[in-house]
Amino acid sequence: MKKIMLSFGILLGLLVACQKTPKTFKYQQNVALDKVSPIGFDYDGKSFWIADGDHNRLVKTDLNGKTLEVQDGFKRPMHLAIDQQKVYVPEYGSDTIQIVENQQKKALELSDSLDAPAGIDVIDKEIAIADFYNHRILYFNGSQWLSFGKEGKKQGELYYPTDVQITSNKIYVADAYNNRVQVFDKQGKSLQTIGFKEGINAATGIFIEDDIYVTDFENNRILIFDQEGNLLQELKEGLNKPTDLLILNDQLFVCNYKGQSLSIFKR
Amino acid sequence: MKKLIIIISLIASIFTISTFDTSAQTKKDRDQVQVTVEGLGCPFCAYGLEKKFQELKGIKNVQIEMETGIMTFDFPADKAIAIETIETQVDKAGYTAIATEITRYDGTIINANQEEKPHIELTEEAIIENTFAVSGNCDMCKSRIEKTASNIEGIRLAEWDKESKMLKIEYDTTLVTLQNIQERIATVGHDTESAFAPDSVYQKLPMCCQYERKEK
Repeated sequence: MKKIMLSFGILLGLLVACQKTPKTFKYQQNVALDKVSPIGFDYDGKSFWIADGDHNRLVKTDLNGKTLEVQDGFKRPMHLAIDQQKVYVPEYGSDTIQIVENQQKKALELSDSLDAPAGIDVIDKEIAIADFYNHRILYFNGSQWLSFGKEGKKQGELYYPTDVQITSNKIYVADAYNNRVQVFDKQGKSLQTIGFKEGINAATGIFIEDDIYVTDFENNRILIFDQEGNLLQELKEGLNKPTDLLILNDQLFVCNYKGQSLSIFKR
Repeated sequence: MKKLIIIISLIASIFTISTFDTSAQTKKDRDQVQVTVEGLGCPFCAYGLEKKFQELKGIKNVQIEMETGIMTFDFPADKAIAIETIETQVDKAGYTAIATEITRYDGTIINANQEEKPHIELTEEAIIENTFAVSGNCDMCKSRIEKTASNIEGIRLAEWDKESKMLKIEYDTTLVTLQNIQERIATVGHDTESAFAPDSVYQKLPMCCQYERKEK
């Protein structure tokens, strides 16, 4: 019986140790993009769709950054999102959200007006938009639109939000020029601010998995926080004005606006 | 039949001439403007500059080429847009215009090179080097700080380092004092070691330039 208990104890210990092992990322490589200045990107299951803000276009690439397709005619496209094979493109220059499906483009109908939408996330019926010059988030919960946030630096206030992500019970915002991530519940109540002590200089892009990943644009860094806001890791290698990031198959992909490249880190 | 053909041809030619005239008129009615802007590091601010210019009544075809920093647009000729108006608008957006050129509808070219300043003889023996802290964040801050310092009478060199936040200057002590230099830089929104920017000016800086302020 003692032996069984001992074995069980060891097994339990190992399990706990495994869970506490930090999942650190290591720099792997940079892949060049062909004259693309990426602001935001997403993955459609096969390829990346990249918003090339400087050149007013969307560029579809493989995972090695090779251009597969180009769609012109977007007015300063920003942090886009893909849901059910539809590409949702916030156009900073036209104050609209364009939906691209089968190479056709149509505008998302909104009753409220936007001023330079900089980021969007879509999950099934839920939509969240980072409304840059209005310092707010517009959120559709499946039945109605809510607006939350106003210009300011206090908790609950936003200062030029650039990216947004919806999870099962929260909405994460890249509160860019407050240099932090801000977390809201789905009624628009601010729950938490993250990263404000880390000297971030423009928190332009976010990605949420178990942890919180944020691009520090001017300082050429990626910061990784746990859900309590504790800094877990800082990545710097290969980065040149990072604007967005995502995790795919245990790899962290970061798009570099000035570097015109993707940086890849492996877990 | 012949008469009918002649009438149709006449109508067609009148239509062609009138269409041609209209397009020529449209082109003739507009001034072309080109502004070279420094410090286009942050896309959110740069696209914002483009957006703010689009709001000017009558403006068309506003475009910023990020690689070169060149912004172009055209404007109704009867409004005779002035170099100063354009530069004020660029300044308001927090940018630094280093060269502006207007090509009037009749081909006349008006330009202004912002880096030109009256030539003043410096006394070599009186020139000293100094380095002091100036608050700022980005490439736009760098342009603004260096342009302001360079335009001060008696300054020979001004270089601001974004990482260390230090401004290195060479200046003629017979023409300007270190305190004067720091005060002039503060007037454009950047705190220095011995001069604080007015709050109202700091608050008008573009978002990427709003550095974290220390206690006064």
